[in-house]
Formats: sequence, C-alpha cells, structure tokens
Amino acid sequence: MASKGTVSVEVSGLRREFKGKGSPVVALDGVSLKVGQGEIFGVLGPNGAGKTTMIRILSTLLLPTGGWAKVMGFDVEHEPEKVRRVINMASGAEKAGYDFISAKRNLWFFSQLYGIPSEIAEKRIMELSEMLGLTKYLDRKFYALSTGYRQRATIARAFVNEPKVVFLDEPTIGLDVMTARSIREFLQEQARQSGRTIILASHNMAEVEAICDRVAIIDKGKIIAAGTPDDLKRSLGAPALVMEVSPPQSGFEMLSTVAGVKGFTSSTEEERGLSTVQIVVETDAAARAAEDAVKKQGLKVVASWRKQATLEEVFVALVGRGFKEREEQDVV
Amino acid sequence: MSFSPWVRTMKARALVRLWSIFGEPLWIVVSMGFPVLSSLALSLLYYSIGATSYVGFAVLGGVMVSFWGNVLWSMASQFYWDKQEGLFEIYLTSPAPISAILIGMSVGGIIGTVPSALIVTGIGWVLFHPAVNAAWGGVILTFGLTLASLYAMGMTLSSLYLAYGREAESLNEVLQEPVSMLSGLYFPSIGSRSPFPLAIQAAASLIPLTIGMDALRKTLFYGNDIGQVWPDLAILAVMAVVLLFLSTYTLKYLENVGRRDGTIAVRIR
Amino acid sequence: MTSLRPILASAWMGIQHDIAWTTPALSVALRVVAPFASAMTVSIIYWFGTTNSSSVAFNPERLAYILIGSTLYAHIASYAWVPTVAIAEGKNLSVFPHIYLTSRSTAFYVAGRVLSSFVISTITSVAALILAYLALGSFLGTQIPATVTLLSAAMVAAALVANIPGALGLGFLLGAYSLYASKFEWSLPGYVAGLLMVFSGALFPTSILPWPISVVAQYLPFTQFIAAAREALLPGSSGDYVTSMGLCLLGGVAILVVSLLVYFASERKARKDGVIDRRLA
Repeated sequence: MASKGTVSVEVSGLRREFKGKGSPVVALDGVSLKVGQGEIFGVLGPNGAGKTTMIRILSTLLLPTGGWAKVMGFDVEHEPEKVRRVINMASGAEKAGYDFISAKRNLWFFSQLYGIPSEIAEKRIMELSEMLGLTKYLDRKFYALSTGYRQRATIARAFVNEPKVVFLDEPTIGLDVMTARSIREFLQEQARQSGRTIILASHNMAEVEAICDRVAIIDKGKIIAAGTPDDLKRSLGAPALVMEVSPPQSGFEMLSTVAGVKGFTSSTEEERGLSTVQIVVETDAAARAAEDAVKKQGLKVVASWRKQATLEEVFVALVGRGFKEREEQDVV
Repeated sequence: MSFSPWVRTMKARALVRLWSIFGEPLWIVVSMGFPVLSSLALSLLYYSIGATSYVGFAVLGGVMVSFWGNVLWSMASQFYWDKQEGLFEIYLTSPAPISAILIGMSVGGIIGTVPSALIVTGIGWVLFHPAVNAAWGGVILTFGLTLASLYAMGMTLSSLYLAYGREAESLNEVLQEPVSMLSGLYFPSIGSRSPFPLAIQAAASLIPLTIGMDALRKTLFYGNDIGQVWPDLAILAVMAVVLLFLSTYTLKYLENVGRRDGTIAVRIR
Repeated sequence: MTSLRPILASAWMGIQHDIAWTTPALSVALRVVAPFASAMTVSIIYWFGTTNSSSVAFNPERLAYILIGSTLYAHIASYAWVPTVAIAEGKNLSVFPHIYLTSRSTAFYVAGRVLSSFVISTITSVAALILAYLALGSFLGTQIPATVTLLSAAMVAAALVANIPGALGLGFLLGAYSLYASKFEWSLPGYVAGLLMVFSGALFPTSILPWPISVVAQYLPFTQFIAAAREALLPGSSGDYVTSMGLCLLGGVAILVVSLLVYFASERKARKDGVIDRRLA
C-alpha cells in the first residue's frame, strides 16, 4: 500500500505475538503500509483487531516479534530514542495530566520533556490553546476541567513538541459534537498547513470518513482493505439495499444464508413499528433474494431502496462476515 | 553532550510536584497528620514512662517518618499511578531521560515534605523541649546524605512497583510499619542498645534509613561530629550512588521487558 | 432479610476487595505484618526507654499493657477508615453512584464493608498480638504476663464485638465527609490512627493528658474497649470489665446514632449539591 511524497511511516511484515493461555495470540499478522508526510491516515477495526498494538509498536511502547517499522526513517526497535524525538501520542480514554496543577502548567511540563525552552513552549501553548478553544481554561486545575476541555488539553499536549508524526487513539471518544468537530478541524489544519502526519485509530466511521486521506481496515491482525474512503466505498460494487420491515424484529438471521449478502446491520423504531435493515449486497440478484428471504419469514417490506455505500457498510461487509466466521470457530 | 535537556526535565518534574503541593495548601495539613500525631503519641509514651531524655528520639522519628511516608506514597508508587493515568507512556515515548524524571520527583518530594517536617519539629519542641547536644555540621551533612539515600531507595522501589502493578498499593501498607520498626525511627535498632539479634540488625542495616537514623541521633543528641560518624556517612553516600544507578538500570530493564512482553501501557484494574 | 441482604453482599464484596489482590492466605498473612510491626515498635520504645533510663524500672506488666493497647488501636483504625475507602474508590470507579441509586441507602453498603473489614482485621490483629508477644519474649528475654484462658478469650471477643458500634460510628462520620469531599479524603486514615494513638489510652493512661482532654479521652468507647481487653488479659488488672464493656457499648451506640444522622444528612446534601457522582481528584 503506497502513498505519495515523503514517507513518514513505513511498516513491513509487522508481526506481534503475545503469550496466551495455550498457543500465542497473534495480535498483528504481517501488516505492511506506508504513510506519507502530511497525511491523515485512519486505522479502523473491531476491538482486538490490532489497531492499538500497531500504534504501540510505532510509538516505541512495544517491540515487534517480526517484521520492521520505521518512523521518519528511524527504526522503532533499534532507534527508539530517535523516534521519540519526532513523535507524540494521545488517547481519548485517558485524562493524562496532573490533577493539582493548571492545564497551562501541565502543558509546560510536558513541553520540557522534549527539551523545549520555556519561552518557546509558552508561545506554542498559547497558539495551540487558541486553536483548540482552550485559552479561557488554561489556568484551571486539571481536575476541575470538564471532559471536553481535558481532552482538548490532551490534544494540545500531543502537539506541543511540533511532532512530525502524531498517533491518536480515539481522540474524540465521549465528546460532544461541537468539541469533536473542533478537534477534527484542528487535526486537519495541523496536517495541511504544518505537514504533520497523523495516524488516527478510531471506531467513529463518520470521523474517519470526514478527515482521513486514506484508511486501512484491520481485522484479526491483518489489513483487509486500504485506500481512500471513496475507493473503499466504490470497492463494494453494488450500492447497499435498505429495507423498512414490519413488524419490528430483533434479528435478521435469515439474511446470513442468502448468497451474495456481504453483511447487514439493523435498527428498530418502536414508535413507528418498524425495523430498518441495511444490507450490503454483491449484485442486484442478491438484493432481490434478500428481500424475498425477509418476506418468506412473514414480514412485510414497507419500503426499500438502494443507496451508495458508507464506510460503515464497507466495514460491516468486510468485518461482519468475519464476526460470523469467528462465532462459528468459537462454537467448534 | 548537553546537560540542558536533563536539567530541564528534572526541574520541570520537581516543579510539578511543588506546584501540586503548594498550590493546594490543604495538602500540607493532610500530609502532616500522621507524622505529627504519631510523633506526639510516642513522645508522650517516652514521657509517661519517665524516659524524658529520649523524647527527642520520638520527635526526630516523626520528622523522618514524614520523609519516609513521602518516599513510599509519592515516590515508590508514583510510576504505578502514572501508569494508571496514562502518564507513564508519555514519559516513555518522549526523549526525556527517566533518571531526570526520578531525580526531579525526589527533589520536589524533599522540598515539599519540609513544611510537614518543620511542623513536627516545632510541635515537639514547644511541648517537650527535647534535650539536644548537636554538632550541627554533622547533623546537616548526615541529614542530607540520609535523604539522598532514602530517596534513591524510593527511586529503586518505583521501578519494582511498576513490575508489581496493582499489588503496589498493598505493598506500601506492608512496607511502611516494618521499615519504621527495623530502621529504628524511634529507638536504636542497631548497635549495643538494639533489642534485635545480630542477624536482624545486619538485615536492617541494608535500609539506608537505619544507618541514617543512627548517625542522626549520634550527631544531634550525643554531639558526635563528622570525624566520628564518617563511616556512617560513607555508607550512606555509597548507598545513594548505588541505588541511583540501580534505579535507572532497573527501570531501563523493565522498560525493555515491558516493550517485549507488551505490558507497558496496560492499565491495571 | 431484605435489609440484611445488601449488608451481607457488601461484606462479601469487601472481603473480595481486601484480599483478592493476591492469594487469600498471602493477603491475610501480609496484613498481619503492619500491626505486628506497629506493636513491636511501641513495645520496644517502652523497653528501650526503661532499660536505658535510671529514673524508671522495666515492668513486664506495663509492657503487656502497651502491647495490647497498640494492637487494638491499630485494629480499630484499620476497619474504621473503610467507609472512606469504599466511598472514595467507589466514586472513582463510578460504582458508588449506582449503589446510591438502589432502593437502599448507601449506609447499608458502608456497614457491610466495615463488617467485612472487622472480620479480617480481627483475625490479623489477634495473629499480630500473638506473634508480637512471642517475638518480644524472645528478643527481650522476658516473660510477658498474660491470662490466656477460654474465659479471657471469650471476654476479649465480646469486647471486640462491643466496640463495633463505636468503630462503625467513627466510620460513618468519616464516610459523611467522603460523600462530600472531592480530594484528600485519603488522608483521613492517617489522622484516625494518629488520634487513636494519642486519645484512646492505647500507649499510656489518658490521665497524663491535660484536663479536660483526659476526661473526654477516658470515656471514649475506644478507650473503654481497650481497657476491657486489658482487664480480660492482664492478671491483676485494676479495672472493672463489666463497667468498661458497658461504657464501651453505651458510648459506641451514642456515637453510632449521631454519626448515622450526620451521614444521612450528608447524603441528602450531597444529592442536593450534585456531588454523589463527582469524580475525585
């Protein structure tokens, strides 16, 4: 998987095993990719797919058991000190700051870990705070910040050393819409104007679709698809089929047996007395077969239409099939 | 080789600790509670049995228990808490030398504990007027070296606590009282007046606080000057240096093990 | 039974919490270390002070007095502070607000946690007392007087139980603060242990404290609990066991009643001010 321009992150045959109760658990199974400078690169995958493992290896927190990875040309295994000078990372699930000092002093402290002179650090902190809407809260103690502002401070920390590459793990998880949007706009600005490479691991399809230049979908430690969001959506071929079905159903297991159905999701609206099921199909014939299968169960198809696939549907199509296979394997 | 990044990191970590302590004045009240009360209780014990000449031992013990408590709860287990909060990963993925972070924590911890220690001293002095026969040069040097070796031990413990994870909290509770007893915070645990058999005295002597307390009592209450306590001072100095290197080496080793086994960024719940 | 169930469930949870960090046997064994060391420290202070001072003679009975007192004040301190831990930790783990939202008051949860800690602390304190008795006898080369019979053991057990209301009451007072506090509640255990050392007659008679502090200290239920245990275990003890037990129980129940009122008031105020589910710094 290639990218244009200077390569910031390069991974080849990356493999990581962990000791399990019986046989080793393979968290990454031969992942290869290249990420260019100034790219926002999304990594999507279900829980346990290997996203966080890959980020931990690239950020030098974890050693690979096979393959290699380079960040800005430095090997993560053999040159971790050089890698650490050019990276930073942040996770949405952490508060990562010292409670009893102000947000500003927390940011100053972390800047010192990168050897940044105080005058320069102060200037950067003010600039970052302006961009992230954090200025008014800089003097508040960290514990007194709301979740949203704490997360803004965490993002600011991730950029205080002007890193060449930033690793972000679910940076907007649990945040309100406005805060999440502010952070996304900030990330885009950092990538476009400052040329920073951002590796973004997320479950938020809409976020990944909105800001990522390219996306890799990981499942069971392997990249199963990669490309721009548009390329991935087009790769499904036929658009999705959407059906509104009455009466509401908790499951649509009958669709798993229909040839040509790649995956599906459903939701129920009790007030309207309907379930809505979105089915990713290979062909028009598969769409018709899926509709027939629903009707054969005595359900009424109130409405149906075709639509362009979303990234979520791509994800479900690729990984949803894996879930079913995984369940069968677990039963055996 | 530039020392600037090292010094910058050390200074920053020390300042974080000091801002946390002095930014919340209540923290001083909070941290002095047990040292003041335990020192008061044990001073009253010496007083109540008519051994008033030893009340000073209890006051001195209360002063040092402030630092010992700081070493255990704010040094040794600090990296464990940092790991819980995701801060330890930030340290590891930054170019900052871990030794600078450790020393910064120690410097901040020592300065931050001084108010509590002064309050214990003040209360003890006002209530009991303990008899003092001090060779002040020796006292200051002994005190400095005792703190240096004690905090170096704290740095070493911090790496071990990292390995132990959740058990770290319980380890603190296990360690606090036995070390207080063996190190002779309130009575001589080594030497001719110790109640312990030689084997226990030998084991206790491996704790920097034991040597330090013994030397502090000699210089503060018996007027021994540097020339008379130099063996203790030499041992403390060697302990400080050895433990400092051991802490940095152990942390580096654990970091490598953690990177290999994938345990660095694991939150222990 | 409906009131007992949450208490018992909380007690079970408390035992899991206290000993689950390692194997139960190791966990209990390690919990003996701290009270053992604490008892040894104060006993040795007595021995050192008397054997190195010409003004006072070493008295094994006084040593036994101190040994019993130091073990028992630590016993009280170790389970009286559990409400602080239960509430503070519960808030941080987001468990406490959910307990609050059940049909029972959080007081049942707190009481259950205190009871579980009482059980563990009783086992470890008794073990520590026995170990310290043996170690001191060996190190100091002295026979420490003690009346160890079935009757004296039963009297001590009764005293331990009689002290529960008082310790529970102390715990609820601390819990009332923790409900409302957002920081530093972790320091309370140190204060509790320190205050008990000074005011419960654990290490020295309360009469040496200045009046009227000595009077208040003398009639604290914790002081009477320790006195009752001494009266059971020390031959030739001058006090009256029945009186001590009565004062312990009476004082303990009085503290418990007051503390429950304070706790419920704190719960109401915490709800009014929206701090039940406030995470702690």
